[in-house]
Amino acid sequence: MMATLALAGDCVFQLPNSWVDPSRFEGVLLRGGDALGTEVRRVVFRFPQKCALMIDVVLRLLSFCNQLVAKMKHLRLEFTHRDQAIVGYLSRVGFFDCLPREVEVLPFRPTVSGASLFHGANSGLVEIERFDCKVAADADLRERLSRAVERGCRGRSDSRSVADSVATIFSELINNVEDHSETRLDAFAALQTYPRGDRMTIAVSDSGLGVLNTLRPALETREPRLSRKSDSDLLVEMFRRGISRFDDSDHGCGLKVSARNAVRFGADLDVRLDRTRVLLKPANGAYRPNMAYTQDHLPLVQGTHLAFSLKLS
Amino acid sequence: MNGGKGWGRADGRAVLEQLLAHVEARPEKRVFRVSMEGIEQMDASFASEAIVGLIRRYRGEKGICLENLSLTSEVAMNIDLAAEKAKIPVVVWNGRSGEVLGWKPSSGNRQAFEFALERPQARAAEFAEKVDKMSIANASTKFKQLWEKGFLLRSESAADSGGVEFVYERIG
Repeated sequence: MMATLALAGDCVFQLPNSWVDPSRFEGVLLRGGDALGTEVRRVVFRFPQKCALMIDVVLRLLSFCNQLVAKMKHLRLEFTHRDQAIVGYLSRVGFFDCLPREVEVLPFRPTVSGASLFHGANSGLVEIERFDCKVAADADLRERLSRAVERGCRGRSDSRSVADSVATIFSELINNVEDHSETRLDAFAALQTYPRGDRMTIAVSDSGLGVLNTLRPALETREPRLSRKSDSDLLVEMFRRGISRFDDSDHGCGLKVSARNAVRFGADLDVRLDRTRVLLKPANGAYRPNMAYTQDHLPLVQGTHLAFSLKLS
Repeated sequence: MNGGKGWGRADGRAVLEQLLAHVEARPEKRVFRVSMEGIEQMDASFASEAIVGLIRRYRGEKGICLENLSLTSEVAMNIDLAAEKAKIPVVVWNGRSGEVLGWKPSSGNRQAFEFALERPQARAAEFAEKVDKMSIANASTKFKQLWEKGFLLRSESAADSGGVEFVYERIG
């Protein structure tokens, strides 16, 4: 199927004909333009035949789509072939179930949801779950995650320990959205194992206020020096010390726990904020500013998008 | 708790209310042991509300401790982190062995705390007698600090001298 004609003034995002991780996804956004941060009215995503998305990219794309629709932009997703693998995968993970009905999908939106048919049947996948700050996430989600992690880590002697730790990470990230997001748009969570790459990725994505946007104002009076730090430095401190916008002893331990567990298993932490992406790699038992890879001045994607990626063996 | 799992603040607050009701229904009781047997998973947010919240509510007047909790478990580590952030000590018993999660005694008070942990009751004079060059006044200060921070309970009793002395009790 040929790509439809894009009009002048459209934002066209051309996905590559290969695997797309967060870094490549940012490249796509940079080349396509600032769809959310400008007055452009029409947005198109084009998926070539062999395009494949990592699960954290799927969630970021989903949140981005929700935000574009909320801003009354016309959004179209173009798949070159009806049977291409990416369509099947997105259906399987529940992407289309969570995609607003206003989004145009070409050649057509799958009529049968792969996620509904096979929900929970794949040991290496926890399908996209949506939740928001008003409705608590499905309690079974954590249990499904825990079982999926344990199966994915079968080869490790500490699979039970990993499962418990990952379940904690997931739960705390969800808690964080419920406590801080303050948006009517859905948040999303998912897990995917990649046996060939020997990795597991846990992703949580929301369209809320943005974790640093709420933290900085609170720090201006409490710790002004901290409030002036760069995004990557502040993120490291947030995870390291468990800093919260709430100035009490009850908040802030969730992200600290997540980081503690992730570091224990050598997991990379990828964080996408409004216009910044920070990739933290553990070093000497912690996330440190000098081991952070930062991209600034990115096209606007609202909210907080977190992904932990840890080794399976 | 739902199937031995505790997730999130909302569930933690709900469990806290149940625990508070249990404690309030027993005004004469000073020490409560919360068994962690069967608790498979608990995140730090739940622990912060239910466990740390309960202990903080009664700090200084009643003692809440945990039992049957492996200190190397994920649950213990999450309780430890939540309690440390809140500066709350959580005493954990496994059989006769007692440890502290969360806020730890200072290096200067650690020996006094371990002394108290080994016996149902401890007096400053007993500790001072046991430790070389430790005055009763110094020992008394250490025990008082431990009580104020929630590591120990204390009650008054008549001293041999005719005055009043404090008796410090381990929690559990």
